[in-house]
Amino acid sequence: MAEESILTDEFLRQLIDVGEADVLVGVPTYNNAATVGQVVQTIRAGLLKYFPRERAVIVNADGGSRDETSNLVRGASINDLQHSTDLNALRTLHSISAEYAGGPATGTALRTILASAELLRVSACAVVSPESTTIEPEWIERLLRPVYQGNADFVTPLYRRHKFDGLLMSNLVYPMTRAFYGKRVREPYASEFSFSGPLAGHFLTQEIWVNEVGHTGTEIALTISAITGGFRMVQSFLGVKPRLDARSADLIDAMRQTVGALFWSLEPNFSLWSSKGDSQPVPTLGGEQEVTLEPLRVNRKRLLAMFRSGVAELEPVLKSILSAPTLAELQRIAALSEEEDFCYGDELWARTIYEFAASYHKAVISRDHIVQALAPLYRGRAFTFLVENRDASGEQVEQNIENFCLTCERLKPSLLELWNGKK
Amino acid sequence: MREMIVHELTQATQELVREFARFLPRLMVMLIVVLVGWVIAYLVKAVLRSFLRLIKFDKLSEGAGATQLLNKAALPSSTELVSRFAFWTAWLGFILVGVSALGILGMQEYVTRFFVFLPRLLVSLIFLFIGLLAASFFSRAALLWAVNTDMPSPRLLSSAARVLITVFTASAVFEELGLADSTMLFAFAIVLGAVMLGLAIAFGLGGQELAKRFLEARFSPEKKEGKEREDELSPL
Amino acid sequence: MPMSQDQLWYKDAIIYQVHVRTFFDTNADGIGDFRGLAQKLDYLQELGVNAIWLMPFFPSPLRDDGYDIAEYRSVHSSYGNLDDFKGFLQAAHERGIRVIVELVLNHTSDQHPWFQESRKSKDNPKRDWYVWSDTDTKYQGVRIIFVDTELSNWAWDPVSKEYYWHRFFSHQPDLNYDNPAVREEMWNVMKFWVELGVDGFRLDAVPYLVEREGTSCENLPETHAVLKELRAKLDLHYPGKMLLAEANQWPADLRAYFGEGDEFHMAFHFPLMPRMFMGLKLEDRKPITEILKQTPQIPGSCQWCLFLRNHDELTLEMVTDVERDYMYDQYARDKHMRINVGIRRRLAPLLDNDRRRIELMNGLLLSLPGTPIIYYGDEIGMGDNIYLGDRNGVRTPMQWEGGWNGGFSSADPESLYSPLMLNPVYGFQAVNVQSQKRFDHSLLSWMKRIIKVRKSTPVFGRGSIEFLYPANHRILAYVRQLDKESILVVNNLSSTAQAVELDLRQFKGNILIEMFGRNIFPRVGELPYLLTLGPYQFYWFRLRKI
Repeated sequence: MAEESILTDEFLRQLIDVGEADVLVGVPTYNNAATVGQVVQTIRAGLLKYFPRERAVIVNADGGSRDETSNLVRGASINDLQHSTDLNALRTLHSISAEYAGGPATGTALRTILASAELLRVSACAVVSPESTTIEPEWIERLLRPVYQGNADFVTPLYRRHKFDGLLMSNLVYPMTRAFYGKRVREPYASEFSFSGPLAGHFLTQEIWVNEVGHTGTEIALTISAITGGFRMVQSFLGVKPRLDARSADLIDAMRQTVGALFWSLEPNFSLWSSKGDSQPVPTLGGEQEVTLEPLRVNRKRLLAMFRSGVAELEPVLKSILSAPTLAELQRIAALSEEEDFCYGDELWARTIYEFAASYHKAVISRDHIVQALAPLYRGRAFTFLVENRDASGEQVEQNIENFCLTCERLKPSLLELWNGKK
Repeated sequence: MREMIVHELTQATQELVREFARFLPRLMVMLIVVLVGWVIAYLVKAVLRSFLRLIKFDKLSEGAGATQLLNKAALPSSTELVSRFAFWTAWLGFILVGVSALGILGMQEYVTRFFVFLPRLLVSLIFLFIGLLAASFFSRAALLWAVNTDMPSPRLLSSAARVLITVFTASAVFEELGLADSTMLFAFAIVLGAVMLGLAIAFGLGGQELAKRFLEARFSPEKKEGKEREDELSPL
Repeated sequence: MPMSQDQLWYKDAIIYQVHVRTFFDTNADGIGDFRGLAQKLDYLQELGVNAIWLMPFFPSPLRDDGYDIAEYRSVHSSYGNLDDFKGFLQAAHERGIRVIVELVLNHTSDQHPWFQESRKSKDNPKRDWYVWSDTDTKYQGVRIIFVDTELSNWAWDPVSKEYYWHRFFSHQPDLNYDNPAVREEMWNVMKFWVELGVDGFRLDAVPYLVEREGTSCENLPETHAVLKELRAKLDLHYPGKMLLAEANQWPADLRAYFGEGDEFHMAFHFPLMPRMFMGLKLEDRKPITEILKQTPQIPGSCQWCLFLRNHDELTLEMVTDVERDYMYDQYARDKHMRINVGIRRRLAPLLDNDRRRIELMNGLLLSLPGTPIIYYGDEIGMGDNIYLGDRNGVRTPMQWEGGWNGGFSSADPESLYSPLMLNPVYGFQAVNVQSQKRFDHSLLSWMKRIIKVRKSTPVFGRGSIEFLYPANHRILAYVRQLDKESILVVNNLSSTAQAVELDLRQFKGNILIEMFGRNIFPRVGELPYLLTLGPYQFYWFRLRKI
């Protein structure tokens, strides 16, 4: 089975030493020595505070870090060799770190964590990003408790974040995941989430691992897999969303991991999403997503400029992806000289995305190029969103996003037409 | 003396008739081979066409941009083209075999050389196809990259990529076919060198600002703090 | 059988703790007596124990199971008389079994003539023998030990109209050790019993002897001075006798009771005991190794006393709050089982009558460094009665056979000092010596075997200990060493089969010989030594280089 090949001998030996656990917190890393120490210490504090009697283990799936990452993780262990009586820990806490095979890839790291969860027979498993410097011990409780108590199978987070933070999420990934799969999961691509042991086993049987998406778009693929599998979804409010590393904020990478994975998922799940009706809300614990409003200086002009240049320069590419009316409309708004008149409206944007999804399905050109071609158009949409919500309050922003979601759901039948029709 | 002429004439005529008689069966064989060859070639064409339709060869070549090329050259679709090519190649082969059966000296050599040439022709055509595919793919990739990283004149970059790869492919094909190989090689080297030199000059002189921005973004993202720059918005 | 004259005999001892009342009744009054105990010495000799610790048997109103003493130089009439005791003592010595007697130093019963005198008036000559005060505010903040019954350490005496100090029950007034007369008298008491032939004393409640204002009134230097004085006198006049301290304290505080080898010979390792049970439930060796790491070194002539259970509750005073809650939830779900700060259950019920766990815990008891104490009845797996008051649930009559009164007494069952265990699992018909003697696989037979193996080498009693820390935290492994002899002990604390790799490089080249079956196991090489253990299984290996 492919499962064994990603678990190195060293990893397996460490798992054998752990034996069995009740809760597991997985941390995928690659050269994260700057932040992982603090994150792991917070995880440990959370485990000691909220799960003092349970057998807990922190599993670090590392892609071959050349810095102090592994040592920092191992330093969080509590055992009788390290004389740490000041911690008042009832039992041993394993904090293991081992390299997985095949070079750094989020997908492989997550798969390793899933395999650990299954082999150790845990009841609840959480995944935490090594860069989540805003993490608090309470996050461990909020992520793991619903699963550990047996009330949920899959927990996605809710954050307190700025109204303009995560535009791709709020303007594309969330509405589309919701429209396609019928569940209002606010953060389908999350750096912190948790799931039950049986769900881990289910994930491992999925097809995603042998595909490209199994390497890059794993998080959202897991969310979709949980939704389509009919597992009990719950959202749990955590806290302030961690600021991602500037490198991770690269738009194209982000789009590959989310939009690419989302589009890819449409094919195998066709029968499921094509028949889905309206979306259902997902139970929420600890509060709704919160929006902060501190002023940000954002270079909006650049977004609009890149949209315009994108529409112009990519015309030959867009021609093979979009329908003629949509492309014409885009060119029209790109040509508007006055910035104030520019508006990449909800309906146009929804149609754009759906046409892209259909083209992705038909693979009119290389699929990766299709995803890349969407980037400048997204920038135009981001510009509109920034302008429209410049002075908006938190509720208004969420309401606008909700309206867009409803538009997407309403226009979903058009995708079905495109899907089955000829180019 | 008259008898000698008549005798010689008779003998010559008899000689000719004998030669002709010996030649006739060979001609028959040749015609049969040609006929059979035509039938086989036709079958090959039909089978190949069905096969290509099955694997949607047309769509693939569309991606390669070959269809556009063919359309411009008023040629039929790729499937059709390949099938017909196969037909003619096969039939030509049989014809040559038949001709060789005629036993005409000198023809053997040409026949042999033809059959030696055939695989190289095939390879070159495949290489050409792949090259065109690559040119199309990479030119599009360059276009997208340039647009998304806010580079100036993305179309230029895209065309440059396409031209470069096409020229390279062409020179490789010519080399494979053995047609003016060294000339093409030199030509390609010169073109490539010139392009590179031009880019270097342009980049060095005119693209300083761009280069600075590019390098900054790539290698030292932290330097952005403390300046009067905008806040980074994370897409996720 | 002659007894060894070794001064350090207590290091090789295997002590059997028993109350004469519970063991065997020969005069059909429903209460065990010394004649009965003497008759059962053969049983004890067969079991393999070589020392008996007798719980208090002096005359007493029995309001604290004999710890409230009314007369120090006699035997309670229910148990016989001094001659009976002497007879028992002699019979024990003949079988090579030493006798340790309990001496309650800290307090007496309020029925003791000394207190009766003392309370008569404020000018009574014996007034100063106890600790009196006209207010109850002295020694503020000192903790109450019997939290379930007492509200204060002071009690009002209506006779002499003053308060008297009592760390335990209010009917057990504390003696005043600042008074030299008290000290002299207690020495005389000790002398009395030593001259009879007793081999050692367990001194009860020693931390509390002396009080000083502004302190916790526990473990004071003055207390230690008193004890050192006693020991010095004992060593001078009666060498080879042993003093065992009952001091429920943290290891660091316990250390003081050994002095520099000039105070107690032995002390109970109280903090280890609950952690053994905790480690078993957690399936994690951490509590055990950590407490032993924190245990200070003691003088060469001194020894720890290890035990699993005793006549008192399984005390949870020396654990953290988190640990205490855990222990309560795991071992004493039913509130009936809890008393003071502990759990009043016997060994077998605590371990769910699981034979494997009982064996494992006994294996730990007999292989960890110290002198083991076996509580009477635990060798056959007796049960408890949590519905009896105080800690009497673990002090029910010894079960000898399946017949009348479990073979304990020929009296009417209703007249016995305590009801018998009757339920189908732990009742005397199910659990008794006679039936267990018949079968090789019984717990009793197994106990005899393991005691025999333990006695086959002095390493367990006198050797050092070095822990191995294999990556598998469910395995507790350590090496006992004495001179050139080494024994490897490996214990699986979990309920599931385990594999463990031990780093035995320092013993490279040794062959492992399993001590029960004496089979040879593979030799130690360069690679980590792989062992697999079944649920709750343990190994004792002798390491032999040939």
